[in-house]
Amino acid sequence: MSMGKKEAKRLVDLVLAQASFGDVRVRVTASTRGHLRFGAGCPTTAGDVDGVTVEVTASKDGRTATVTGSRTDEAAVAVLVQRAEGLAGLSPVDPEHMPPLSASKPPKVKAEDGAVKGMSAKVRADLVGRAIRRAEGDRVEVAGLLDHEHHAEAVGNRAGLFVYHARTEVSLSATCRTDDGTGSARGGYVSHALRGLVPEALVSDAATRASASQLPGKRDPGRYPVILTSQAVADLLEFLVHALDARRAGEGRSAFSRPGGGKGAGKGTGTLVGETLFDGRVHLWSDPTDPANPADPFEGEGRAQGKVDWVVDGELRALHASRYWADREKLPDLPTPSSLHMDGGTDELEALIAGFDRGVLISRFWYNRMLDPQRLLVTGLTRDGTFWVEKGKIVEPIRNFRFNDSPLSVLKKVVALGRPQRAGLSRGRVMVVPPLVVSEFELASGSDAV
Amino acid sequence: MPKLVPTSRRQFLAVSSLGSAAWLAGAHASAHAPKGARSPAPATTRPYDDVAAKALAASPVPSDAALAVRAVEAAMKAGATYADARLVLMRRERVGVRDDRAQPVRLRERYGLGVRAVAAGGWGFAATQTLSERAVVEAAQRAVQSARVGGTLRDELGQPPVQLASTPVVEGSWVTPHEIDPFDVAPLDKASLLLELSAAVRKVAGVSFCEASFEAVAEDKLLVTSEGSRIHQILFRVAPQLQATAVDRRRGGFSSRAHEAPAMLAGWEYLRDLPLAAKAESIGHDAVRKLHAGRVSPGHKHVILAPSNLWLTIHESIGHPTELDRALGLEADLAGTSYIRPDDAGKLRIGSELVNLFADRTQPGGLATVGWDDEAVAAQRWPIVDEGMFVGWQTTRDQAHFVGENESRGCCYGEGHDGVPFQRMPNLSLQPGPQGYTTEDIINSTEDGVYITGRGSWSIDQQRHNFQFSGQMFWEIKRGRLTRPLRDVAYQANSVEFWRSCDLIGGKGTYRLGGTFGDGKGQPMQSNAVSHGCPPARFMANVIDTTGGEP
Repeated sequence: MSMGKKEAKRLVDLVLAQASFGDVRVRVTASTRGHLRFGAGCPTTAGDVDGVTVEVTASKDGRTATVTGSRTDEAAVAVLVQRAEGLAGLSPVDPEHMPPLSASKPPKVKAEDGAVKGMSAKVRADLVGRAIRRAEGDRVEVAGLLDHEHHAEAVGNRAGLFVYHARTEVSLSATCRTDDGTGSARGGYVSHALRGLVPEALVSDAATRASASQLPGKRDPGRYPVILTSQAVADLLEFLVHALDARRAGEGRSAFSRPGGGKGAGKGTGTLVGETLFDGRVHLWSDPTDPANPADPFEGEGRAQGKVDWVVDGELRALHASRYWADREKLPDLPTPSSLHMDGGTDELEALIAGFDRGVLISRFWYNRMLDPQRLLVTGLTRDGTFWVEKGKIVEPIRNFRFNDSPLSVLKKVVALGRPQRAGLSRGRVMVVPPLVVSEFELASGSDAV
Repeated sequence: MPKLVPTSRRQFLAVSSLGSAAWLAGAHASAHAPKGARSPAPATTRPYDDVAAKALAASPVPSDAALAVRAVEAAMKAGATYADARLVLMRRERVGVRDDRAQPVRLRERYGLGVRAVAAGGWGFAATQTLSERAVVEAAQRAVQSARVGGTLRDELGQPPVQLASTPVVEGSWVTPHEIDPFDVAPLDKASLLLELSAAVRKVAGVSFCEASFEAVAEDKLLVTSEGSRIHQILFRVAPQLQATAVDRRRGGFSSRAHEAPAMLAGWEYLRDLPLAAKAESIGHDAVRKLHAGRVSPGHKHVILAPSNLWLTIHESIGHPTELDRALGLEADLAGTSYIRPDDAGKLRIGSELVNLFADRTQPGGLATVGWDDEAVAAQRWPIVDEGMFVGWQTTRDQAHFVGENESRGCCYGEGHDGVPFQRMPNLSLQPGPQGYTTEDIINSTEDGVYITGRGSWSIDQQRHNFQFSGQMFWEIKRGRLTRPLRDVAYQANSVEFWRSCDLIGGKGTYRLGGTFGDGKGQPMQSNAVSHGCPPARFMANVIDTTGGEP
């Protein structure tokens, strides 16, 4: 069900009116979500789900509890608040509890699209039908998901905070596999708006790449120069976003900890902030207000997301922190960002390939897991199209590899940057990053998976 | 079969100078696991006692049963050929501490109704949290509408309609055997226990941080089908976590050690009785030991995997590939497909002759243990791998016919009321060997290898060929003895080559369950809870130093 700002305010006030503690925060979300899956060229399951959550965090003398329920009538809300306050009374003291946030000024972000908000089962089936028919025409087997959502969220407390945001999101992902099972590629679209979604173009592009990846040759594992698509770069940078945590760095348990620590507390002592860690062209930033790629303007406690530079000219400039840690270390109040942008150049992927002498083109990564947080070493596999490139041309498809490498190393070893674009398979956080040419990347073993 | 080097247990203990014997034996000393959890026993009759009766009587869900019936009626009236409705109340609680600080207690409760329908040969589903007659009827009509749209498209594309295997009509109820509802224990009591554990861990010199938590989930659900089945079930799942981190600030290094006590389908008594306090100090020592541990000499060699490590390897390299929907290509877009093809049952050898695995939704303590699945099919036990041969699939009612079977294996599950039910993994367990070997026997008979316990980093490709797993603790084995602790170790292999290399398997007394609440699959992604039992076993794998040998 869709929840407008007025309705959200009414609900937040209804909850707060039940509170007896001075320090009570409420977060409400309301979403309407629908999807249609397809596999082996056939529509499979579909669903329409309405959901509401009311999350109440009550705190007294540092004793805090959070209770989440799914009903919004006055009686249910009263019970929820009572339980949160009761549970808080039974909870031990959290010495790091912060006083309520009294004000927050999130930027205005326009992220609702009427066509997505009102999407019906019929429209879904039409889009999926177009995708499947295109795949049939291109003689590939297709599997995927069409998913759409309207999501509204508000946070308020008894200290006067009230913030509200509503957004839509539509996504289509489609994996095309060749009949012989030796070629595969995936296409993806994700946006707040429907207008850029053309199922035929998405599937056709994936089908072409799937055919190109058919009957892969074998190459030995090793350290190779690589070209990473925007999606592959986004897959790796997701680990970097998590690692930009100020507390872990300050406590000596992160790749951004300064060896030997630092003297005293404050201003991020003991971290690598201020150090040049990457290639001088690396610029990483967040901005929820980018009109083409809007992102959430506040996080779960209501803290505003602003425009933040994390890395400028290869130098680490900032880390994100909890309110407690930011206050204790006198750091800027920066929550974990809802978007990540990386500057690049103007070259398309094709131009990067044309300028590449010899190495591996990687379409995306899969099943990526942290191997060693101290070095931000990640393992995972290449998937959906891995190619050998020589003298500016794709020479042949090659089988997939397991990699063991780090986004830190990738950003150090940048050779060339392409045009940034939205990573169409990255959900949750908005990722707008360029394809990269990297001088060396560790492909540790081969995988027969297609 | 390799010949076992005869060594006595006493001799083994004598060589364990680092106190590793106690650690070895204690690593899975969960003597308090639910009755039956430590033996791969065949299905037995279910205990039904006063505690279960009390839980059923206290449940608020049956009072809304009329709404589920109404939803099914509305779906059938709107033209469905099959419909079911599930009322699901999910409660989750997390009590956690970091060092000497309690984190806010979290209690989440979600309740609603999901209705599923087949119409015009397609599937439809809708869910609502508004539990009024009007809302559930609307949801049912929406489910039928979207089923019809999907079914029409299937037809236009020349695809066959959904076909459901029949199943007996049942009325019944089932409750996880338990003594104490985990939600009846005050968070303050749980937090106090965790703070004590954390203090004991941090008393160890060199340990800087400790994180500990107890998680509890109660899944209370009522299923009504258009065929006349009506089933009420209450499932309790609990999970402990205890992790120490040692930091070497001067040289810029750190290491973490997580305790290996598994999540379990059980009540609070399981967590209460775990010997966590007795283990806390050794967890701290292990974290420091890891910080100063040596590097592995990489290469193709033996790995001996403790149950606390092997369960996840089973999950990834045999559990997922034997999901029929993956083999059919239905999960190709995200999770991937499988190295096993739909017609491979009885034809493809995926392990050595010692390798026998059963799927079992009746295993005591197993996180996927139920009375019936989410489409009224009774819990059962069936072979997946028989003497190395792949023989059986995990199926649901709409999948059985794809492999020429007339009945579902009962693997249908939807997370919460709003997850579309589909095929999910049952408990799937490696059977112990008849020789009755102990962990010590297997170590004693190994010339050059690594002994690995606990869950570390894990990653596997989309057809489940190439995997790489790490662990919590690693010990070098030379000439049948544990010689020194290692760090930054992972083993990498091809699933089939790995299972075919299995040449030693522990006996009945070494069988333990491991499991997770977070088995992810599907689009939109849903989480399943599942356990895997196993004894320790020996394999060949490519052992690697994950740092690449850098200091």
